[in-house]
Amino acid sequence: MHQPAAVESGSVDEILAVHELRRSFGGVRALTGCSFGVERGSITALIGPNGAGKTTLVNVVAGAGRPQSGQVIFDGCDVTGRPSHEVALGGLIRTFQISREYPAMTVLENLMVSPQRQAGEKLSTVLFHPGRFRSEERRHLERAVEVLAEFGLYEKRNDYAKNLSGGQKRLLELARAVMADPKMLVLDEPMAGINPALIERLADHIIRLRDTRGTTFLMVEHNLDVVERMCDRVVVMAVGQTLATGTMAELRGNAAVVSAYLTGGVVDVRAQG
Amino acid sequence: MGIILGYIATLGVYFCIYNIFAFGLNIQFGYTGILDFTVITFMAMGGYMAGVAALGPEQPGSGIYYVLGLSLPWPVALVMGAAAAGALGYVVGLIALRRLRSDYLAIVTLAAGSIVLGIVGNANGLFDGFEGLVGVPQPMNGVLNLTPNAYTVFFLGLCAVIMAICWLVANRIYRSPLGRTMRAIREDLDVAEAYGKHTFRVRMTAMVTGCIFVGIGGVLTIWFITALAPAGWGTSETFVVWAALIVGGRGNNLGAVVGSFLVAVLFNEATRVLPAIPAFPSLISEIRNMCIGGLVILTLWFRPQGVVGERKARFFEVPLRTASHEQVPVPAVVASGR
Repeated sequence: MHQPAAVESGSVDEILAVHELRRSFGGVRALTGCSFGVERGSITALIGPNGAGKTTLVNVVAGAGRPQSGQVIFDGCDVTGRPSHEVALGGLIRTFQISREYPAMTVLENLMVSPQRQAGEKLSTVLFHPGRFRSEERRHLERAVEVLAEFGLYEKRNDYAKNLSGGQKRLLELARAVMADPKMLVLDEPMAGINPALIERLADHIIRLRDTRGTTFLMVEHNLDVVERMCDRVVVMAVGQTLATGTMAELRGNAAVVSAYLTGGVVDVRAQG
Repeated sequence: MGIILGYIATLGVYFCIYNIFAFGLNIQFGYTGILDFTVITFMAMGGYMAGVAALGPEQPGSGIYYVLGLSLPWPVALVMGAAAAGALGYVVGLIALRRLRSDYLAIVTLAAGSIVLGIVGNANGLFDGFEGLVGVPQPMNGVLNLTPNAYTVFFLGLCAVIMAICWLVANRIYRSPLGRTMRAIREDLDVAEAYGKHTFRVRMTAMVTGCIFVGIGGVLTIWFITALAPAGWGTSETFVVWAALIVGGRGNNLGAVVGSFLVAVLFNEATRVLPAIPAFPSLISEIRNMCIGGLVILTLWFRPQGVVGERKARFFEVPLRTASHEQVPVPAVVASGR
């Protein structure tokens, strides 16, 4: 995107690599040297007890917060400290912990906002060359309708997004992200507060997107059954750093991880380090 | 007969001017969610700049001081006024839009307006301080040789044409992908940013475009009354425009028109001809302000979206191309969650 990779990854093709990220808010040290990588085309889970720094990490990776030190390498470019919209244009889209649709816009409009670098977003084009974005608009519209159908929201396309149910809003959030055609999606607790049947559906959608579009996923998740079923790899965070990485089966045998979930991680990290 | 016609034409001129103000504020607030609490400052900037562009050089010894004095033809003065308002909007935007949003942004715009008022009022050499500019030439008044009432009718035509252009531009922006992105920013700035929208640039576009609109309205104002002084653009004037947009319906330019008619024309201007009550000379204007305030409260209470609220966006219906995907009907699991 802008700069050559500052740090080459090892043998695996890592789409995202974070190195020694540190971030504190006053006296609270939210990230204390967090490092891990996400393999291209994988579904990677980010788990850890509350207060482990997962959301701070997502914010820092997506440009919503600057790290005090450390590096974020996305798709071969150093994106550390870049503003959100630049990171997003590079192909990394994040969702938020609570559903944040555009409430007073229709479902279809919510999707139509997403395509990046639209010609019709420039004032001079809008005023003097309206013909230039008409065909593009039509293309986006066809695609939006298709995506809505994929997610079972086609019938709702002309409803205001605020009138959707909680579960539908989750689906809309994912559909909207797909419209942006991202290389990687970072989902902050996509399964929180929805019923088991819908969790299944969301999980199927995520796996389908990975398989058909090759999208890489990094998802913060507390539901370990879901993680075990759909994620290739798991990164465990505790007190602002990476505690362990591996498959869920490997981690179940890791005493430090189990303990971190029971104690909040404080004891073990001190004991180890 | 001529007087009544002139009076109606005067109201019509105010209607057009307030429409333009309301379109400008609608682009800023209705589309993009920018709380611009100093709309009227940009009207003044546009008016003053058009005034000093059209006036002849300042006469020594006349006691009236101002910059420029270029004796330019009126279309050039119009462009200069609009550009000056846009430039001031850009400066205020640089201060206010970079880091701030919602109420903090509103406070900064309010403060910026007060600063501009203080500077214009006290720097006599700029636009003649608190005395204000007088005798600004009216477009084509020298060549047409009309009676005052007939000229007002002609001026109404000019205002209507300019207003129609503003209406078309504002609506074109609303329906474009740019307008959609503006509304997305209004709905949730962080999300729009996370989807790759340069929110600062888009908000600045809305800010400057809105200010240019308001500046054009300001140029028409100074042409119509041929004078402008800081007393005419106090903070309270800003809230007439706000009241118009809130009562009419934000996010909808038709709402801006309805609101301008109800608030600005019916309440604010038409009541100016009521005879003053000698014992209480300011009574009518006070009652007028109370009525506008009451109208805003009633609107927010009973019809918060305004008389004509924002319309739902309708898209051309595109048929589904493939049936291979997941079936269209919403599964019971999802539908039951409502």
